[in-house]
Amino acid sequence: MRTFLLRRLPSGLLVLLAASFLIFLILRLIPGDPATSLAGPDAGPEAVAAIRARLGLDRPLLGQYLGWLGDLATGRLGPSYAIGGEVADLIGDSLGATVELTLGALLLVILLGLPLGVLGATVRRGPVAVAVRALTTTVLAIPPFVTGVVLVLVFAVTLGLLPAGGHESILDQPDLGVQYLLLPALCLALPSAAILGRYLKDGLERALAEDYVRTATALGISRRRIVLRHALPNALPPAVTVLGLQVGQLLGGAVLVEAIFAWPGLGQLAEQGVLRRDYPVVQDLLLLLVAVYVAVQLVTDLVYTWLDPRIRWE
Amino acid sequence: MTSLSRRSLLRGSVAAAGLLSLAACRSAAESGDGAAASAGPRRGGTLSLATTIDYTPSLLFAQSANTLVQRLVFNTLTRYDDQLRPQPELATSWQPAADGRSITFKLRDDVLFHDGRKFTADDVIFAVKNLQNPVRSAQLRSTAATVTEFRKNGDHELTLELAHPVSNLFDLFEFMIITDSATVEDAVAGKQLIGTGPFRYGKRTPGSSITFTRNEKYWNPGRPYLDGVEIRVIPQADSLVSSLKTGQSHLSYHVPGKDLAGLKGSGQFQLRPYDTGSGAYYIGVNVSAEQVKDKRVRQAISWAVDRERLVQQALGGYGLPSAAPWPKSSPAYSDANATHYRHDPAKARELLKEAGVSGLTLPFAHSNTPDGTAIAQILQHDLKQVGIETELQPTDSPTMQKQLISQTMPALWTLSHGFAQLHPATLAVSAYPFNEAKNSSHFSSPGYTDIVQRAWKRPDSDSAEAKALYQQVTDTLLDEAFVIDLAIGGQIEVAGTKVHGATLNKFNYLNLDDAYLTV
Repeated sequence: MRTFLLRRLPSGLLVLLAASFLIFLILRLIPGDPATSLAGPDAGPEAVAAIRARLGLDRPLLGQYLGWLGDLATGRLGPSYAIGGEVADLIGDSLGATVELTLGALLLVILLGLPLGVLGATVRRGPVAVAVRALTTTVLAIPPFVTGVVLVLVFAVTLGLLPAGGHESILDQPDLGVQYLLLPALCLALPSAAILGRYLKDGLERALAEDYVRTATALGISRRRIVLRHALPNALPPAVTVLGLQVGQLLGGAVLVEAIFAWPGLGQLAEQGVLRRDYPVVQDLLLLLVAVYVAVQLVTDLVYTWLDPRIRWE
Repeated sequence: MTSLSRRSLLRGSVAAAGLLSLAACRSAAESGDGAAASAGPRRGGTLSLATTIDYTPSLLFAQSANTLVQRLVFNTLTRYDDQLRPQPELATSWQPAADGRSITFKLRDDVLFHDGRKFTADDVIFAVKNLQNPVRSAQLRSTAATVTEFRKNGDHELTLELAHPVSNLFDLFEFMIITDSATVEDAVAGKQLIGTGPFRYGKRTPGSSITFTRNEKYWNPGRPYLDGVEIRVIPQADSLVSSLKTGQSHLSYHVPGKDLAGLKGSGQFQLRPYDTGSGAYYIGVNVSAEQVKDKRVRQAISWAVDRERLVQQALGGYGLPSAAPWPKSSPAYSDANATHYRHDPAKARELLKEAGVSGLTLPFAHSNTPDGTAIAQILQHDLKQVGIETELQPTDSPTMQKQLISQTMPALWTLSHGFAQLHPATLAVSAYPFNEAKNSSHFSSPGYTDIVQRAWKRPDSDSAEAKALYQQVTDTLLDEAFVIDLAIGGQIEVAGTKVHGATLNKFNYLNLDDAYLTV
């Protein structure tokens, strides 16, 4: 395994280095820079030049790039130009908020997807069946920014039950945190719950057509017990695979939902960073994402090595 | 009758416990806690304020899109009343020299910074020097830079010596916050804010919120009434409006024009326009572009636009249609200047014909925000009616600022400017679009420079001579039309019925000294 790791690590580092160069270059190619952004529309060239000098943006690009790499190598992410505070703190706090939202949404996906799937497979006719079909189709068809606005209008503006937006950490103040989390998590979770429900419904329908179900019915076991104790466990594995794929969707969708509900996660941070040309925040954030991807690939390769001994000898 | 199994009982108990816990816990949907009901000012409560734009620490000393924090944590030496007359704040009195080359301040001797240190004349000296530093990108740097010497008479009396008289000296003192010199770098890095103001800086979650708590040792007796303030950052304008409607936020200055009428009609809010002139909308013209070199073409553009419609449709009816940059509170304001150009497409076509221009197509840059796009589309329609086609170029803010500063704007652009709400000389020496020495329009004229410099280097700002100079500045702006003013927007305060006593200064610094909440 050590040999394998030693062989894979240099390529991982090379990917990171190439990514850092591309990120650095692309950011500088976007028109506007932090100094003009900071100086504001009424500022003159002298003020912009002074800010540029203070931020070190008047140095040659190569020097700036090597300086950034040097800081990364020593573990110093440094201060943000425009947003304020240390980049490490900004990324850490935003990551926590995004993870909170994604996990909340994942929980709701399971809580909503399971009953939808079970109802879809077991109730074939009548108003419940129509409602389940209509619900899954509707939430899949409507984009989250529309769902978000509707949820705010109903639960915050009209009923006054939940806040329209904002964030309280669920770890610091659980009672308030849950209320802030509910609407954004629901908005994020609905399409994934519908997808999970559909997969589960198909799986359950297949399982309920199996011989063991007929035998169980003949033995007088209740329908409820057959579905929950016998068919559902057999229908779950493919649904769990789908759920795993949905986690990526949830993380991606969180960016949009964060904007609707003023949720201070990674998406909001990235948007603010780009809009204000806050180079340190954006480049560190993007490089972090690349590093995560490289690490996941490495871990996947390691797992394969462990599962398939032949790979060790390749 | 069905029997109650042990499992059912257990499940029921858990569900009931869950419901009871939910019922017992605090509600995040309720607005911040208010003080007891009463007709007069009441102590207590946390005011929640919603903004679309996060505070930028590095712009602490500049006028920017979010200046809500400055007057909460800090004080200024003086503050203007509605007629631009300076009133005492940290300075109790002042005496300008007869020749306008110095001014002596007497300062309060009972003021403490939030860390317990006493406020003295040294803090004023630091504040002036701090604004002289170009790194702070303070728009009033040119005025601060006229202070060449400081003479202390004890800890609470200070004389500022000036290189030459300036008519906008008190604009500087309205603008200049008094900060703690030892922590100023921490302040611009967003780590801490230490001032003498009514609230102490609490916690900031970038992109989300900033909290403040009452300064118990504030020099203003009995103030502030509020226990605290929370600024919530809600980037989506629709979400911000929802936050106000639910009572989650009490107050905002960032409601889009299109939503104002709806909020006013609901009866839930008080709307108050501030005649601050910041946020004046204009069309900038790059006079080096061949198609608009002739000032008759620029004047035609000014005649072509329907300012009334723009105010109604893009600003929700809140704004003053005006061809000149000055708000009504400015000494340079006159009805004649404001209505110098009215909506007259026939006149515009006549001028274009005189200039020998036909089939004109101009690039037209605008901010890519919803408001900026709406304004650009209205203007595009107006210009089309007189035969001027425009190619809209939606542009993000940093790109536009870079183009403005590097003088690479296309033939036309539309944006907003500040600084007309102050003494008129400030506009021409501190706001880049109007700057006589160098501006985004590539406009220069010895006559304009001479008038601006004479208006600025006066010891007085309200005399008949001063006003005559302001009129000459306005005449040049109207005649040359390198900046075509459209409407004076100002700030619109949208406050729930619980909120009382919030005000803005001329730089949109939020003053909550006298603010209170009722139930």
